[in-house]
Amino acid sequence: MDKLERSTSISFSQWLKSGEPWIWINGAAISISVIAVVGLIMILAVKGLGHFWPGEIMSATYQDPRSGEVSRIIGQVVEKESVPIEQLRASGLKLETDEEFLSRYLLKLGNRDVTGTDFAWYLQVQTNTVEYPQAAMALERREWGSFYGFLHQVKQADQVVATASGEELASDAAWQELQTRIERVSQLHDQIEQLEKHEIGAINAKLERLRLNERGIELDEGMSDSAVKSARAKIEEGRAQLDQEYQVLQKQLSQLYIKVSRDSITAVTMDGSSIELPIAKIVRAYQPNSLSLSGKVAIYFSKLNEFLTDDPREANTEGGIFPAIFGTVMMVILMAIMVTPFGVVAAVYLREYAKQGFVTQMVRVAVNNLAGVPSIVYGVFGLGFFIYYVGGSLDQLFFQEALPSPTFGTPGLLWASLTLALLTLPVVIVATEEGLARIPRAVREGSLALGATKAETLWRIVLPMASPAMMTGLILAVARAAGEVAPLMLVGVVKLAPSLPLDGNYPFVHLDQKFMHLGFHIYDVGFQSPNVEAARPLVYATAFLLVVVIAMLNFAAVSVRNRLREKYKALES
Amino acid sequence: MPTELDGHTDHISQQFNNELNEIKTHLMEMGGLVEQQVENAVQAIIDADSGKADEVLESDHTINSMEISIDEECARILARRQPAASDLRLVISVTKAITDLERIGDEATKVAHQAIALAEDGAAPKGYVEIRHIGEQVSKMVHDSLDAFARLDVDQALTVVKADKRVDAEYATAMRALVTFMMEDPRSISRVLNVMWSLRSLERIGDHSRNIAQYVIYLVKGKDVRHTGLTEMVERFKSD
Amino acid sequence: MAKPETKTHAIDISAISGDKAPVDLSNDRVSVAVEDLNLYYDQTKQALNGINLDIPQKRVTAFIGPSGCGKSTLLRCFNRMNDLVDGCRIEGKISLEGRNIYEKSIDVAELRRRIGMVFQKPNPFPKSIYENVAFGLRIQGIKNKRVLDEVVERSLKGAALWDEVKDRLHESALGMSGGQQQRLVIARTIAVEPEVLLLDEPASALDPISTLKIEELIYELKSKYTIIIVTHNMQQAARVSDYTAFMYMGELIEYGDTNTLFTNPDKKQTEDYITGRYG
Repeated sequence: MDKLERSTSISFSQWLKSGEPWIWINGAAISISVIAVVGLIMILAVKGLGHFWPGEIMSATYQDPRSGEVSRIIGQVVEKESVPIEQLRASGLKLETDEEFLSRYLLKLGNRDVTGTDFAWYLQVQTNTVEYPQAAMALERREWGSFYGFLHQVKQADQVVATASGEELASDAAWQELQTRIERVSQLHDQIEQLEKHEIGAINAKLERLRLNERGIELDEGMSDSAVKSARAKIEEGRAQLDQEYQVLQKQLSQLYIKVSRDSITAVTMDGSSIELPIAKIVRAYQPNSLSLSGKVAIYFSKLNEFLTDDPREANTEGGIFPAIFGTVMMVILMAIMVTPFGVVAAVYLREYAKQGFVTQMVRVAVNNLAGVPSIVYGVFGLGFFIYYVGGSLDQLFFQEALPSPTFGTPGLLWASLTLALLTLPVVIVATEEGLARIPRAVREGSLALGATKAETLWRIVLPMASPAMMTGLILAVARAAGEVAPLMLVGVVKLAPSLPLDGNYPFVHLDQKFMHLGFHIYDVGFQSPNVEAARPLVYATAFLLVVVIAMLNFAAVSVRNRLREKYKALES
Repeated sequence: MPTELDGHTDHISQQFNNELNEIKTHLMEMGGLVEQQVENAVQAIIDADSGKADEVLESDHTINSMEISIDEECARILARRQPAASDLRLVISVTKAITDLERIGDEATKVAHQAIALAEDGAAPKGYVEIRHIGEQVSKMVHDSLDAFARLDVDQALTVVKADKRVDAEYATAMRALVTFMMEDPRSISRVLNVMWSLRSLERIGDHSRNIAQYVIYLVKGKDVRHTGLTEMVERFKSD
Repeated sequence: MAKPETKTHAIDISAISGDKAPVDLSNDRVSVAVEDLNLYYDQTKQALNGINLDIPQKRVTAFIGPSGCGKSTLLRCFNRMNDLVDGCRIEGKISLEGRNIYEKSIDVAELRRRIGMVFQKPNPFPKSIYENVAFGLRIQGIKNKRVLDEVVERSLKGAALWDEVKDRLHESALGMSGGQQQRLVIARTIAVEPEVLLLDEPASALDPISTLKIEELIYELKSKYTIIIVTHNMQQAARVSDYTAFMYMGELIEYGDTNTLFTNPDKKQTEDYITGRYG
């Protein structure tokens, strides 16, 4: 025994010496990181993407443990958990059971317009006759959230066109009638949106330009009276024409609104009361309990598609987040366009032209320290310098006619991109400098020895060879910029932007407009929303989407970098 | 002349030092043998000692094989070390010197053959005085040229060159005397001819010694002085 | 240091050896002349000390000497590569065809076209073979495809590389072997038709066969260019050069025709270095 023990102790010390523990420690560290990353993405994906799955609707009778009243409940089970009975008793419930734990459901009841609450907890022991009726119907509405209940009648201009046969069975005829009418309404809504947003929007934009022109004429003191008169006449003419066009559109629009509000349905809620709902307010109707798997998948992708491509509704808690995706991507691209040339030029000067000495070293230290400044400080700087000072001056010089309402003297896309460009500048400078330093002296000398000047050498040889490093800098910059929220709240992001910063109205790219951003959207939906519980899955989904967007931006940059690396790979050895 | 040639001991490569020293040592060994051979051959004629003559003949094989092995060593150094400057000149001088030494050996065997032939005749002929005299001189020349090689002594090499002039002159004188002798006594012609052959060989030995001396000058000074007049040579290389 | 006695040997060896007359410096036209050249790094550190030397036209001149002796530094003076080094100061004169290259009015880029340089490690640009050779012309603004094609072919032929690469001119130069890369660099250099070629240890990173090819190329090129080569390999200097300069501690110790220098050097330091006694 003694011998054996000694031998194991020797082997243990040998094991320590062999360096194997280090491999294990390193392996463990890597595994933990991998698990953390994968876990994060999995949680976001499951919680976020699960939201779009059409869950089944449960119907049951429930005896309230407090009052003893029996009522009927309908809703989607969102969560199920065990609660210690003590806790329930302590909250004043009289429960006659020996079990220590009771399970309870969190039901999404919907029908906020009827019941006032979206979600409620129900104890399992108190529920009876749990069933999943085939005819149970879920409606997604443009207002008041979801609705759960049973279809009763479909009406056209207050005339009943179809009646459902009863609670238990979905009447095919009535259901089909409802679906075709929802389809019709949805098309009408598209038309309305087209009219309101694009055509009337375009007219409004033109009117605004005319107004600014007029104001500009007023401000221009050097103009002769006749010139002013003719200009005014022209403006009036244009305005009259636009007004005419607007009248036509307005008429079309009111007709559309009349058409849209033609149909309605009556539905039975969980307490048996009947309620009338205009079809104009319904986005989607489905009966999850009677859907096949393929039907559910179709609904799922339709909802996912809506999430990705539609505008948000109901204080961002419903609908899509397309403007936020668009805003994020556009801001990051603008930021990249601004930061890359600036950072590269700065790095080239620092590394290639500046005399290496104390001052250069100080500049380097300063640049490196910029990377450590908290981002909100950049936001404050952007607000103070870019918006109030630069933007204010720009307004004074070029957009005087719009004053007192500011054009560039207010948070907007340009300033947000510029602020983030400043924030990520150190990364680009450091990475580019690193890349420039790695280019072998021999290659530069080879070019110089052929009679190339320093500038020619830089442009033809050095910069192409340093391009992978620049891309690395850009990747890091993009990764940082896309995830940044705090400074953006000061310099241009809003919770709901009326239009995209890129559209068909002159000048097409609206750098002065405010925009939506995924990061801020998460914050807004998660913490500022009136209905936090209902919006929580959207927070997860949006967070997941943000990760995906950043990953895609990065992958694009990484693949470009890898191609460049392949091209210039040699000579590094 | 700043070049120091003493010993070839200061190369970075110790192995190279050893190799260069080895060919020099082997050259000296071979030179010693040849020197001995020349002395023996001269002695064999003078004393009519055919035993000594046989010794001379026997040692010729050793000398021939030494020539080959030293040549091989030199070729090896050339191939593997690519010597330059003084090292190169040393190797070249050694390869040339051993050729001359081998020729000296050949001439000595010729003398030994004549000695055997003369010893069979018994009587002491005319001309032994010349043989003794020239023989002693060329023996000294062989010795001096090797000595100059060993010590890289240009002055000594120059004395060998000078001595060769003297030997040539004495050889011409001896020839005239022996021819006169043959005319006086035609019966002695065959023996005198033997003596003449011996003298001729001794004179050749002197020439070869002079060659070796010239290699020493090439080795030390880097200039090839073959076919150069003696006075010019002396003028140039006389040590200060 | 006194001017080395290159033209007046104490002994006129050619009179003695007769048949193969060595190249006599006094018969050659001087291409590059160095007069009293001093070079300092950082004010005090002197890297070259009073160099005087005439480089003959269309001959190969080799600089040999131990590491740090200043031979590369001297070579880099000829095309003013030392200008790139901070704190490097040069006194004295280097004339190319009679004109001081350190004059203010000299265009350095133009000078470097006239004095081409090949470096120790092959340094092709990360471009195609064709573009590597055409680089020098392109920076001179030559765009005519026919001219470029012609020069590329002529230069590659001149560097004995044409047959090996004519079918893959547009592939990356980085896929070539080290020896091919070095010959490509030579082709690139001769494409701008320099008068002088500076070779800074051109074969030190190559295998023996590639080295021999480069040496053969040098032999062919010397009919058209003045070649100055720095090498650590004494045998290489002995093989390829017509003249050899031995440098030690920033000074030119001995300069003379290669045959003499390698069989019978004048100075003890030279002798010690070429026989492997230096140390």
